[in-house]
Amino acid sequence: MSSSTNHKDHAALATQFNKDEARVDWHDQTLWFVRAKRDKAAAQVPDWETLRDTASRIKDNVLSNLSEYLKQFEEAATRNGIIVHWAADAKEHNEIVLSILRNHKVDRMVKSKSMLTEECHLNEFLKDNGVEVVDTDLGERVVQLADEPPSHIVLPCIHWKKEEIGQLFHKHLGTPEGNADPQFLTYAARLHLREKFLTRRAALTGVNFAVAETGEFVVCTNEGNADMGAHLADVHIACMGIEKLVPQRRHLGVFLRLLTRSATGQPITTYSSHFKRPRPGQEMHIVLVDNGRSTHLGRKDFRNSLKCIRCAACFNTCPVYRRSGGHSYHTAVAGPIGSILSPNLDMKQYSDLPFASTLCGSCSNVCPVKIDIHEQLYKWRQVIVQEGNATAAKTAAMKTMSWVLSSPGVYHTAGKAGRWFMLNVPFTVKNKWNAWYLQRELPEPPKQSFGQWYKKNRKQ
Amino acid sequence: MSSRNKILATVKNNQPGPSDLPPDHNGPTVNGVDLTPQFINILEAIGGAAFLVSGYDRIATILREQFPDANRVVTSCHQLTAFAAGTSAAAALSAETPADPHSFENVDLAILPAHFGVAENGACWITESQMIQRVLPFITQNLALIIPRNAIVATMHQAYDRIATLEAEANASVTNAPATEGFATFIAGPSKTADIEQSLVLGAHGPRSLTVFLVDEHLSDAGFY
Amino acid sequence: MRVGLFIPCYVDQFYPQVAIATLELLEKVGCTVAYPPDQTCCGQPMANSGFEHLTGECTKLFIKNFNEFDYIVSPSGSCVLHIKEHSHENAGLHDRIFELVEFLTDVLKIDHLDASFPHRVGLHQSCHGQRGLHLAQMSELMAPPFSKPAQLLNMVKKIQLIDLDRKDECCGFGGTFCVAEEAVSVKMGKDRVADHEKHGAEVITGSDMSCLMHLEGILRRQKSPVKVKHIAEILNSNIQHEQQH
Repeated sequence: MSSSTNHKDHAALATQFNKDEARVDWHDQTLWFVRAKRDKAAAQVPDWETLRDTASRIKDNVLSNLSEYLKQFEEAATRNGIIVHWAADAKEHNEIVLSILRNHKVDRMVKSKSMLTEECHLNEFLKDNGVEVVDTDLGERVVQLADEPPSHIVLPCIHWKKEEIGQLFHKHLGTPEGNADPQFLTYAARLHLREKFLTRRAALTGVNFAVAETGEFVVCTNEGNADMGAHLADVHIACMGIEKLVPQRRHLGVFLRLLTRSATGQPITTYSSHFKRPRPGQEMHIVLVDNGRSTHLGRKDFRNSLKCIRCAACFNTCPVYRRSGGHSYHTAVAGPIGSILSPNLDMKQYSDLPFASTLCGSCSNVCPVKIDIHEQLYKWRQVIVQEGNATAAKTAAMKTMSWVLSSPGVYHTAGKAGRWFMLNVPFTVKNKWNAWYLQRELPEPPKQSFGQWYKKNRKQ
Repeated sequence: MSSRNKILATVKNNQPGPSDLPPDHNGPTVNGVDLTPQFINILEAIGGAAFLVSGYDRIATILREQFPDANRVVTSCHQLTAFAAGTSAAAALSAETPADPHSFENVDLAILPAHFGVAENGACWITESQMIQRVLPFITQNLALIIPRNAIVATMHQAYDRIATLEAEANASVTNAPATEGFATFIAGPSKTADIEQSLVLGAHGPRSLTVFLVDEHLSDAGFY
Repeated sequence: MRVGLFIPCYVDQFYPQVAIATLELLEKVGCTVAYPPDQTCCGQPMANSGFEHLTGECTKLFIKNFNEFDYIVSPSGSCVLHIKEHSHENAGLHDRIFELVEFLTDVLKIDHLDASFPHRVGLHQSCHGQRGLHLAQMSELMAPPFSKPAQLLNMVKKIQLIDLDRKDECCGFGGTFCVAEEAVSVKMGKDRVADHEKHGAEVITGSDMSCLMHLEGILRRQKSPVKVKHIAEILNSNIQHEQQH
């Protein structure tokens, strides 16, 4: 579904990405390594497939009772002393966050990883309104300093080489030029961000899971940045998509066993912090965000994508993602899951994404909550075309194909003609306008088709 | 109509038909198995250190050896108050004095009790009442946790069962304090990141080291891991 | 039992030897095989491009041609999967349609083959056959390994099956993807080829000629000596054929 005149489509961006083959190899191998670590970790859990099935069914139950669970969560969280807000869309979410900060006369804030805030473009909004935001996850800080979006929802700067990070830190943090040692650079970031934690009165975090039963929410990090921000701040704002609920606290056992093994191959993140009440003297807020999710919930074929726990296992296994990079998807959440979530937000803008796939099915197999990702990619293609988002050229070509293939006579003639042209006038297909031919040879046209052979040799 | 009501109405209208919760999943049974070796192996694999000790004297000795340069040591274990006071200028803190979390900025070593460990991932569950201040287990440069050796559960399923039991016990015993803790966390190893070209670095924003002491009074003084 | 032979359109036009091998192989193992001459295509290229709504005539033609047979067998996992899953009005054909490998292992339950192929062979696990039709275990799942194509290939005398670094990574063909996302498609194919070459393959085989056509295009552009052969051709190769080489 790509038009090469649209500079923002996946095919064009991926072609750009593939100009540096060595870099593609490096990106591909790095992410395949993460997939391999996931396999190793999953193999150590004897009930892995049962666990996936259990998690999937818990999330099915959540979606089928979402309105009740949301009310239950709001009630329990409010009783715990957490101030609950509801945001219909990204705009409202951003305004709520800003108003909380203004109430506390805060113009500087630290933020830990939240893909939701990426989706809402919160950082830009706050900047335009005079609030400085420092992203404290190391990967996110790297892309923030570089003024670009993250390319992966778990490993934000996976597309950056250490030498490039070294140069970036030299420019912004004053580390010695040419130093690309990960240990040294991480330590420099530790000192740089520690100063931010200690001086900012407001901290914003994401939410990995919120528990309807108890009104608490869980934030998982390896770095400890969410906790460093929240426990030093006077105001803690947590932002959450409405689908991130689990019904009961004990369900966290299922999800915490699956999440990090699926994401990075670790048995669990270093910190799985359960926030229930504000610290004495602190104000704790949670913003429940819709932004298209309630609409998506009504799409029978696509609602399952709301089960997503944002582990990115699908990214790591996707042969297309590994060879095109997150930025080729031009959306906050990239990869296979992003390709089935984004068209709900804006079908026109993201109509290319469900086609950025060979439908190999690997993603569905690694998904810890068993989302039928590859089936949804196929179904989105039908919807996108039906809603009029196919190019005129493509529609014409498909109509022709349908006509040819519906009539045996036309098909046989076309086949014969095609093979004749390939044999006798090869330039008609062996040219630079034939995308197949750019880097591949065409098959050698045989003298006769199988149909012709059969007629001659077998038919009585 | 408020956003809340609009959202809830749309959600209710659009949510799929009934879908029951699956039966509780408890994972494989591990009755009678000593989980200590698994816990220690995994904790070490994720960058933590583990010591099997007979008591607090051993803990103090080992910490003195491991952190000879620790300037400020803070602990909520009364058995180690002397150790902490002996190594630092600041006295051990009393539970009644609410401290500004920022005042813990220069802590080199925090020694805290935890409730239990989880064998499958080397994590320890620690709640707010054990932390002195929420920020302490994160802001300290080095963290040491102490759990009873026999308080190791096999998987996260048993962990949440244990948490429920602990809450019920707390509920039953204390009448005035809240039944549940306002904050708690699983801590598995030192803070870390692999964001720079997948190179694992221990010590991101949280502590740069994590040491877990498994206390077993039945061990002789000579026996330690 | 009467078997209707369903040959993918591009095999009919460009790789008739694969269809011939499939026909001969099925006859060798005792089937009565007929090839309905008016068949064209299963409709998959249109459906996968989002034009499932245009495949109605194609499907009708398919049903018309194949409804009379006890079994419909095709040397193409992706075509069979499409008929089974995405063509809705298939008049109960989905119970009777089989990809060649699974027909041999599951229906005919072949346990030996009179075939010989003295070469180092890399098995490419085509995605739709593997993950769709479960021709082999999927590396993502924590489940016992199995492979129906390998099971058959191991019955072939003198064959040497090689290992691969990535056993079931997609080759990048993906239907119209191969031209719409040409850069990624070719890169995926090149990486597959490199994996096979690294492990010393002389021949790359698989159950889908579309994958092999794509890999062959890359191999020939690289002027590589490595050849592709559909699994039907290998299973149908015997000592007499070898002498004719």
